[in-house]
Amino acid sequence: MSHMFRLDMIMAILSVILGPALLMFYFLDTCKRILRREFGHEFFHSVVNANRLEFPFVRKALEEFNAPVDYERFRMQLKCDFLALTYLLKNAGNAKGRLSKEERFLTWYFNAVVLKLIITHWLRLSERAAVLRLTSILEYFANVLGERVDTIRFGDMTASDYLMSL
Amino acid sequence: MLGNLLATAVEYTVQALELFLVVYLLYRGLWKRHAGVLVYLLSLLAVDEVVRRYFFHRYGLNSLAYAYSYWLTDVLLALEAFGLICIFFRRACVPQLWRVLRLSLIVVFILVAAISYLSLSHHKDNLLHSFIYEFEQNLFFTCVLLNTLLYIMLHQMGSADEQLALLVCGMGIQFAGPTAGLALVHLTVGGQLAYLLLHHIAPLCTLGMLLIWTYAVRRFTTVQEPTYRASGHRGTVPALAGAGLHGD
Repeated sequence: MSHMFRLDMIMAILSVILGPALLMFYFLDTCKRILRREFGHEFFHSVVNANRLEFPFVRKALEEFNAPVDYERFRMQLKCDFLALTYLLKNAGNAKGRLSKEERFLTWYFNAVVLKLIITHWLRLSERAAVLRLTSILEYFANVLGERVDTIRFGDMTASDYLMSL
Repeated sequence: MLGNLLATAVEYTVQALELFLVVYLLYRGLWKRHAGVLVYLLSLLAVDEVVRRYFFHRYGLNSLAYAYSYWLTDVLLALEAFGLICIFFRRACVPQLWRVLRLSLIVVFILVAAISYLSLSHHKDNLLHSFIYEFEQNLFFTCVLLNTLLYIMLHQMGSADEQLALLVCGMGIQFAGPTAGLALVHLTVGGQLAYLLLHHIAPLCTLGMLLIWTYAVRRFTTVQEPTYRASGHRGTVPALAGAGLHGD
């Protein structure tokens, strides 16, 4: 009976530890899989140029020049890019005026990674992976936005023509 | 008050998503490819909308009949989910590997179902005490383990079936959260906080699973190539030009 009791306890403790760990794991893996979506074209360049976004420079600094992480600066740059991109995703060529389900899911992921960045900075661990992950989320947002804008056929239409055609 | 409102909102969202997915699978003719998913969703709907609702209205929230109906349907759903994971295994495996795995999965499924039946019938008099939490925790934990095995197998095989991987992730979320919640209830011997946590976690995890499944089903069936203009890709897209102009 006491063996059974001990086994029960072991199972319960295992479940309490593994449950949240697996929950987090599956959540993160889902986000990574959404980010892995392939676009027909690298749409993000045009969006970056048009809106002077900074995340490609952050990534380039880390990946190509192996620069040290400037925590305050990078965090501010990425946060500003995030705000600009989420605003555009909600309002640029979007009849619903709100984020889609996967975009909202990824905004949660972005905030979770920002939290991870803050914690790693606080614990004085390497922040590099978190910063790179943030740039990949922003690239995804920029790609979605670029793809959407690219599919709208403005042609020679004026703004009023376009609105009248809706 | 706010907690109750949120719980109700989550509950209705879950039901709406279940209904949406069922209609979507049927309407798009995807029910053959996702027969297991469809059956599971229909069961979720039937349990939530018919069985539990009937017992709730007829006997009341605090009645024994409602409690029995709630937990027994929960066990049935878990067993069905177990079967669904086996179907996912079938989809993931090449025929040779499936021939090897099939027997083991069938044996495991029969074992789990038999143990569930024997345990429930053995404890039918004190079903609603701590036993049911412990029992469900073990059942859910088995489902999580099997699901994780499938996930590892998909990873090892380098499977290109992204839709299946997402369906598996959704299933993992559906079981991982409640497993921890049930175990916490068991460990704290019915602590109030653990109950509260379980009460909120379970529907949220179901919501997470349904959102991921909706994404997986829609993304891999409605992917459309973006239409490029004859003149090719614009050099610099004035993204802000689109801002405020409504229409996809």
